[in-house]
Amino acid sequence: MAKETGSRSAFGGALDLSVRFCGVRFPNPFLLSSSPVSNSAEMVEKAYEQGWGGVCYKTLNSDRIPIIHPSPRMNAYQYEAKQLVGLQNVEQISDRPLKDNLADFLYLKKKYPDRPIIASIMGFSNNEWAYLAKAAADNGADMLELNFSCPHMTVEGSGHKVGQAFHLLEKFTATVKGAVSIPVLAKMTPNITDMTEPALFAKKGGADGISAVNTFRAISEIGLGDWVAKPNVFGVGAMSGYSGAAIKPIALHFIAEMAQCDELGLPLSAMGGVETWIDALEYLLVGATTVQVTTGIIKYGYQIVQDMIEGLSDYMISRGIAKAEDLIGKALPNLKSTDHFDLARQGIAAFDIDKCVGCGQCYTVCQDAGGQALEWDESTRRPKLVEDKCLSCMICSFICPVPGLISHKEMPKGWARRPTAVMDSALAREVKIPALPLT
Amino acid sequence: MNNPALFQAMTPGFDLAQAITEADRCLLCHDPPCSKGCPAETDPGTFIRKLRLHNVTGAIRTIKSNNVLGGACGVLCPTPSLCEKECSATGIGRPVEIGKIQRALVEHGWKIGFRPFRAPSKNGARIAVVGSGPAGLSCAAELAKDGFNVTVFEAREQPGGVIRYGVPAYRFDTAFFEKEMADLASLGVQFQCKTRIDGAEGASKLLKDGYKAVFLGVGLWAAERIPGGEKLAGVLTSVDFLALMREERFAEIGGQVEGKVVAVIGGGSVAMDCVESAAKLGARDAYLVYRRSFAQMPAEEEERLAALRLGVHFLMLNQPVGYASDKSGNVTGVKLLRTRLGDPDASGRRKPSEIRGSEWVLDAQLVVEAIGNRPDSADWSGLVKTDRGGLVVTDEKTGKTSAGFVFAGGDITRGPSLVVEAVQDGKLAARAIRAALA
Repeated sequence: MAKETGSRSAFGGALDLSVRFCGVRFPNPFLLSSSPVSNSAEMVEKAYEQGWGGVCYKTLNSDRIPIIHPSPRMNAYQYEAKQLVGLQNVEQISDRPLKDNLADFLYLKKKYPDRPIIASIMGFSNNEWAYLAKAAADNGADMLELNFSCPHMTVEGSGHKVGQAFHLLEKFTATVKGAVSIPVLAKMTPNITDMTEPALFAKKGGADGISAVNTFRAISEIGLGDWVAKPNVFGVGAMSGYSGAAIKPIALHFIAEMAQCDELGLPLSAMGGVETWIDALEYLLVGATTVQVTTGIIKYGYQIVQDMIEGLSDYMISRGIAKAEDLIGKALPNLKSTDHFDLARQGIAAFDIDKCVGCGQCYTVCQDAGGQALEWDESTRRPKLVEDKCLSCMICSFICPVPGLISHKEMPKGWARRPTAVMDSALAREVKIPALPLT
Repeated sequence: MNNPALFQAMTPGFDLAQAITEADRCLLCHDPPCSKGCPAETDPGTFIRKLRLHNVTGAIRTIKSNNVLGGACGVLCPTPSLCEKECSATGIGRPVEIGKIQRALVEHGWKIGFRPFRAPSKNGARIAVVGSGPAGLSCAAELAKDGFNVTVFEAREQPGGVIRYGVPAYRFDTAFFEKEMADLASLGVQFQCKTRIDGAEGASKLLKDGYKAVFLGVGLWAAERIPGGEKLAGVLTSVDFLALMREERFAEIGGQVEGKVVAVIGGGSVAMDCVESAAKLGARDAYLVYRRSFAQMPAEEEERLAALRLGVHFLMLNQPVGYASDKSGNVTGVKLLRTRLGDPDASGRRKPSEIRGSEWVLDAQLVVEAIGNRPDSADWSGLVKTDRGGLVVTDEKTGKTSAGFVFAGGDITRGPSLVVEAVQDGKLAARAIRAALA
């Protein structure tokens, strides 16, 4: 029996995880993204059984140009003892015959009519975009996602090359919109500076929504024996798409930027490093309506959606929020440019020293990277803060192994930080400063 | 239970990946307390930091250059009462398993063929090291690094002393030790085995023969005895019992234990090694007989628990007073008096007193006395000052004896103590020798 998709009665009334995205209802905002995890109906069915709210199916190809995946096709980025903090891949779009993929669409729609299928497509010519769009729409796709963003296509001039050539992106979007009546998403590459710019071109071409981000062009590792970047495809490495937890903060900012762009004003499907309900919630809070996942599934399997559903539900209950849709964009009003900061208010790091275990990492980092505001008592192995030297950079709290030991505390009005000491004040006389041109 | 193949080999430790995972829990302390907790200055704070920063060969170099027996110590050290006792991570859970990381790094070095030492350039001066246990090996290695021509004299067939002949192979096996010795050999240390330097006269001769200094690290190879045991068949000292198992006569000792009732007397780590060995060799019943109680035993808690898990019977609060034997001179049992604990004695542990009239006999076919080691017959008192128990008196910071250019360290100066302490004695003496010859 399929696991709960989340839209169920919970706290007194109905807890509703469902979202309406580009006019299509999804039982919850958690979708498989177009990738190895959505390669066939067999896989998607397993995901649905775990509770996923829909699928952005692996990018269809037209069979005109054969698709062959390089071998091996992925490499993991490891950080200290943590495996798979990031994932680099050179996987191509679907290598399955179009007919097989479409038959799988029909199977999924028949068995899971409530789970929308977003068909990702990639044409290698204008006509091919229209052809694939129509083929998908005619076989049960509820929505399309235009793959303008794969950063490692072996077919020349495709993928993120299109996403970086804004007029092409607009043209292909318009072509697809002319061919089908179902909603169309344009999927953005992050390998640009300002994502709102191509998104606006997509809007001009008629896109109904934006999905982002595709993978970041990256080098995750270089073989130290053979000097070949990984994945090492028989002696050749390549810069290619990087995903996973490592890229989440950067992806999150792209989504927020598009959500804040009034001129754009399109619904957003977000992805980039989502593993937990917290990651997903953060994307909703900066304006996404649906959230797509691949690398989290590559790391943990489809089961993670159970924890995304339960975690988000419990969060909503604790906050008294009945509808997931009510979370969308909630963090945007507080997200401003840095010139909005109230610089008159200042604080310091506050230590709950009874909790201290005496490792002294705070002392090391404060000495070497902070304000030299901590002193170290060798006999008790405890730090002592010189308050007026504390920069409130808070790096001490980032490496402290005890949760809640170090927190930020606002200082009263009029409190002032001591200026950083000059090593030899006698040298002040020898300092040469050119006149500052004031105009 | 008795499986000679298993008995002769250690269980595998962490591999490098496991060591990295464990090192991930390290808090990378400022002024690392673990490093202060190591008697031999092996410096876990530094080698774990190096491992965390993927400087794996550097981590191995730190271990081996601070402690030439870093592998042995990683295996044999009672880390819960040394480095790990000081670990700050205890405050948020449990200490980092430093000993296991240390062993893994040393073994990884062997696996990748990493040579932690460069061949030193020789300074021509010759030094004699008497005894090839941890103290002697450590002293020899340090001096060899300084360019001295070091010759180690060893009475037994093979070098290693207590770590070859004094611990069961399942705790520390020969294959592991040989690898550690290969690191040492790269420093050019020479060994003369089956060469006993017999007391003051022998050591004086070394100086006359042109050795610029002599280091005595001869260990304690005789045992304290319970009256009567020396005359009976079936009563062994821990020294003999453990050494037999490391020699060709392993099968013979196995035959004496398998299916028999074995009693081991004592409460220290050596007693645990003996009784565990008896249990593993298939003793029908293995008794540990101790005059105090479980909490007062000097053996590490983990060693005691390991023996319990093996099915050893802990017979506490019983004082051995002699033996029962048959007409042919075979032991048939241990005569015991029950004890009760009174007030703490000088060691801080509650003192046992015998309960009058409580004598009874524990039937046993093999008895191992593990109640302490003492110097063997070699007499050093004609050359250096010794104490009443025959231990060589030294300055503990330098290993200097009362005689010029004669230094000493390890159990022969301290009485029974840890491998890691002997390593430090050897290092300190090497430094003092270098200074004395400068």
